[in-house]
Amino acid sequence: MKPLKIGITGVRGIVGETFTPELAVEFAEAFGTYLDRGRILVCRDTRPSSPMIRSAVLAGLLAAGCDVVDLGVCPTPSMQLAIKSLKADGGIAITAGHNPWQWNALKFVRSDGLYLNPTQGEELLDIFHQGEFAKASWDTIRQVVETADPIEEHIKVLNESFSTDAIRSRKFTVAVDCCNGACSFLSPKWLATLGCEVLAVNDDPNAPFPHAPEPKPETMAQLCAVVKAGHAAIGFAHDADGERLGIVTDRGEALSEEMTLAIAADVRLGRKIGAVVTNVSTSAAVDVIAERHGGSVVRTPVGQAYISEGLIEHNGVLGGEGSGGITVPEVHLTHDSAAAIGLILEHLAQSGERISELVQRLPRLTTLKHNVAVEPHRLYSVLQEFRGVVEEEGMEVDSTDGIKVTLPRGWVHVRASNTESMIRIIVEAAENAAARELLDWARDRIRK
Amino acid sequence: MRAIPTLKISISGVRGVVGQSLTPKLLTRFAQAFGTHTGSGTIVIGRDPRTSGEMVKHAVVAGVLSTGSRVVDIGMCPVPTVQLQVRHRRAQGGIAITASHNPPEWNALKFIGSSGLFLDAGQARELLDIYHQGEYTRVGGQELRTVEQVEGATDLHIKSILDVLGPLPKTSKKLRVVLDSCNGAGSFVGPKLIEALGAEVIPLNVTPDGSFPRAAEPVAENLGELCKTVKEQRADVGFAQDMDADRLAIVSEQGDAIGEDYTLVLAMLYVLGREPGPVVANLSTTSAVVDIAKKFDCPVFLTKIGEVNVTDGMRQHAAVIGGEGNGGVIYPRINFARDSLVGMALVLHLLAESQKTVTGLLESVPRYSMVKEKMPCPSDRISTVLKIVRQEFAKFQMDTRDGVKVIQPDGWFLVRGSNTEPIIRIVAEAPNDEQAFEKVKTVIDRISGLSTR
Repeated sequence: MKPLKIGITGVRGIVGETFTPELAVEFAEAFGTYLDRGRILVCRDTRPSSPMIRSAVLAGLLAAGCDVVDLGVCPTPSMQLAIKSLKADGGIAITAGHNPWQWNALKFVRSDGLYLNPTQGEELLDIFHQGEFAKASWDTIRQVVETADPIEEHIKVLNESFSTDAIRSRKFTVAVDCCNGACSFLSPKWLATLGCEVLAVNDDPNAPFPHAPEPKPETMAQLCAVVKAGHAAIGFAHDADGERLGIVTDRGEALSEEMTLAIAADVRLGRKIGAVVTNVSTSAAVDVIAERHGGSVVRTPVGQAYISEGLIEHNGVLGGEGSGGITVPEVHLTHDSAAAIGLILEHLAQSGERISELVQRLPRLTTLKHNVAVEPHRLYSVLQEFRGVVEEEGMEVDSTDGIKVTLPRGWVHVRASNTESMIRIIVEAAENAAARELLDWARDRIRK
Repeated sequence: MRAIPTLKISISGVRGVVGQSLTPKLLTRFAQAFGTHTGSGTIVIGRDPRTSGEMVKHAVVAGVLSTGSRVVDIGMCPVPTVQLQVRHRRAQGGIAITASHNPPEWNALKFIGSSGLFLDAGQARELLDIYHQGEYTRVGGQELRTVEQVEGATDLHIKSILDVLGPLPKTSKKLRVVLDSCNGAGSFVGPKLIEALGAEVIPLNVTPDGSFPRAAEPVAENLGELCKTVKEQRADVGFAQDMDADRLAIVSEQGDAIGEDYTLVLAMLYVLGREPGPVVANLSTTSAVVDIAKKFDCPVFLTKIGEVNVTDGMRQHAAVIGGEGNGGVIYPRINFARDSLVGMALVLHLLAESQKTVTGLLESVPRYSMVKEKMPCPSDRISTVLKIVRQEFAKFQMDTRDGVKVIQPDGWFLVRGSNTEPIIRIVAEAPNDEQAFEKVKTVIDRISGLSTR
């Protein structure tokens, strides 16, 4: 199986196999053509392939006549904020987010700092496939500018969005694992300005990823040890580009990535009642929390673009996904792990509560996730066949994104990954045993 | 007549018009083919100041990196600086991003092997085969290397020149030099070298911003401003470089452009006077080269046109100096490449040591008139044109290694297709302008109509 996904969320693949420099060049040319030139920001994470992909992207954008600003290595949300401050027309983030280090991807951002929505993603794909790109002549072609510091601007916006005095007064000890990713430049620095004693690990952007760049309990063992040894108030784990956040409590317990949204929702709705926007695949804990506070939950398809659009449409107070991506609208309408850190630290400072105490109050459901590798050409047929089987059994399906089925003891969600050639199964129930049964139930009905 | 193409892919490299056929995809694929050809190692990349240079560079860097090679980016610099750097670092190869004398809308890749020489015809064919086959080395993950930005490649170049030639002799009066770098790759390093040698420099067109203050070829008709400045400033000599600073033309203290074919002649006067030995030039070079070599009792070998053919010949014959009539001087003790900086250093040393003026030096040199003409010609017509020339002038001695060179009692002329543009070039040399023009006219009369039909 050749891992390459070209879709409405961009292009993603393994460098050295399917993700070639030509592909990156042509996607950049297509994006420059789509935006009709203009100023485009480029940022990248710390993967070994990112310098190569960066050069390809810069070449493509310059050839299309864009005014290109290279922000270097920085978190994707820092670039998204810089789009506003630098009055840019769009941006390209070179990062495969939580995917392993062999992967890379291009993510396309528009002039308001949000990802292209699905319709725009389709339009970009059409231009890419047509292969007819804007071409700058010698007297209109530009040079790359490499001056802006997006991290400073990001920290400034974060400081304006939270009560930094309250955080500063507490002098928290905070552990942070940057996975040697783009947040190595942001989090330790920002936390230090918040008066925290920072216990940073894996904050060397020149070193390889120490573990999978996906913040979940399996990758947070080192962080747990640091929290315990340093008596930290909390531990935070980043992915490679600053979108997803994992949390370790003051007791050294690594929480499921599903808990990040639950914590953020509880904190947020405790202060401001409104709609929490999340995807259909995220834990029902958020429904329980919203009900307690008198808020509501809006469910969208999986993907950041849908969360952003949902927040705009419903004037939401918080967005987030079970993967650990959190959107705090005061900062901007896109996932930002630093914004999630600000939200949580602000609460701990103002309430005096410990993170382990907060977690005690939250519903603890068991969520199980399972991936089934499927040949790319079978991906959607497998999904349709699952739907057929379930409907034959007389059950009602929610087809917002993939197939979601609610059963007496919990729910099952089966969907095709946007980024890899996989069917993702997520089940949730109150008890572990029930969740296992749900997972078996779903797997029995999927025929590769 | 068919449209003139905007892309030329040949054994000289890939050359095209930016905004038309020279796309980043094409460039990145060529760079991948080159990385595949060299095998993983270090590749040195430099560029001239054309506006498209940065786009081209990024496309090339992406392609080279994707094959697992390391990139040493030495920034904007003369082509010979790239060649020198390849040898200095024992790199696997180099890519010079420049369309040398072509107009500003053009750009090109020139490929350099591990010896610091341009790829020879065989190597270039291999590269083209790899490019066309489209199967390139691809590496991922930890096998990918990074780009090293290197400052000071041109300082190494200056040092290499001074190490061999030394500064100008102290006894001489300080020479005053007007340098016209055409806002090209020699803009920074040219003045620096002249000062390092101990001469005074009056710079002209040394803002490398991608603008072309004059046509880039350092031929007499493009050097009006330089000639004027030399006269006004009462300078001892004027130097003109082309965009990529491999070629050099000279203006005398009287403000006359002496003809770019005489650059090699002056350089020979200095080199052969100190270290006599074989000379290699191409068959389009002025007969003065042959005369001067004879004067020093040194053998001369004429090769096919193209820098790589000359350097090949130089290696074969262990030449002490070589070059081309277009102002390209090759002095292997410093750099096995056409190098305008080396040319300037040799000529300044000649002026200082001889205590003569440029005009004075030329008095001892046979003077010929050379006329160069070109006419558009689709590539499929070139061989027909050459055949007609061979038939029409069959009674004369001929050299057909590269186009057709017809050797006549009062001079010679050469007709050949260009490697870089869809044109036919005609060069004629005779004792005076009238006779040279007459030769060109005779040829054009015989072939015009054929080339455009």
